[in-house]
Amino acid sequence: MRTTNDETNDETRVEYAPETGPRLRWAQLAPDVYKAMIRLDAAARQGLDPTLYELVKIRASQINHCALCIDMHTKDALAAGERVERIVQLNAWEESRHFYTEKELAALELTEAVTVLTDGFVSDEVYERAAQHFEEVELAQLISAIAVINAWNRFGVTARMAPGHYQPGRNQSERHQPGRPT
Amino acid sequence: MTAHVTVRTRLLDQAVGQAMSALSAAAKKGLGDPALAELVMIRASQLNHCAFCLDMHLALARKQGVSEKQLDLLAAWEEAGDVFDERERAALALTEAVTVLTDGFVPDEVYERAAGHFDDVRLAHLVAVITAINNWNRVMVSRRIPPGGYTP
Repeated sequence: MRTTNDETNDETRVEYAPETGPRLRWAQLAPDVYKAMIRLDAAARQGLDPTLYELVKIRASQINHCALCIDMHTKDALAAGERVERIVQLNAWEESRHFYTEKELAALELTEAVTVLTDGFVSDEVYERAAQHFEEVELAQLISAIAVINAWNRFGVTARMAPGHYQPGRNQSERHQPGRPT
Repeated sequence: MTAHVTVRTRLLDQAVGQAMSALSAAAKKGLGDPALAELVMIRASQLNHCAFCLDMHLALARKQGVSEKQLDLLAAWEEAGDVFDERERAALALTEAVTVLTDGFVPDEVYERAAGHFDDVRLAHLVAVITAINNWNRVMVSRRIPPGGYTP
């Protein structure tokens, strides 16, 4: 498998750990499931600001430790013109609030609450703050969209999809099937 | 005295709802084991504290003939002796790992244990069942949809 090593010259060559391939090619093994995910993804993002949703996707993917998803969504954000600092600071957004709008901050806070359900519910405080910045239809979409990136994270982590190969702008149907002949 | 639970919003985009149903249906069909699917969905709903989902899937599990003993002991399946067979235990261990990603990954041990009981196609669909119910859990808990709205 080709790594970034190949792009450096001999003098600066560094030995990285070997890449591990996917455990499970789930999209090929369950094509109907994959089709439903693509359809769900398209439906859930309707009406959401793409810049805001990209931040939400990166943050959820960080919390869920989905390497493929972080690779994909940081590259997509950069390709869409997002500022590097806003991506870099996402992992500490509570301490770097001045990089984000109040609406984005409310969305990020909601993202964390909806993503970490096992620690208990989505508090009234977090929900109300989001409700101040999003009208009801948009908020319902945001909740669905947070759930959807969580779903992609689950497939990505469980199937152990390798990061590093994603290129923005590729055909949607190939996005989540790295390693597939193209 | 009854507690008052306030629904936050009942809004769920129709296309989103339909796609979520299609996802669940494709996942369950490919797994080909409706009773096991219900056990998995109940366990994930327990971990995610989704009252609506628990109410719904406990009803569906009973309809599928899942025993009361299994339903009673599901939250402590690891300590429940032979109430659950090895295949069910492997599926439940995977359910927990895939549901609690924030504590870190899906360990090889858990994954391999599941792979020992499910072929790749069934395993992909089992992961899809776990993912689909996690999706429903998030949508229902966030909107605070109360239990009791579902009749099989």
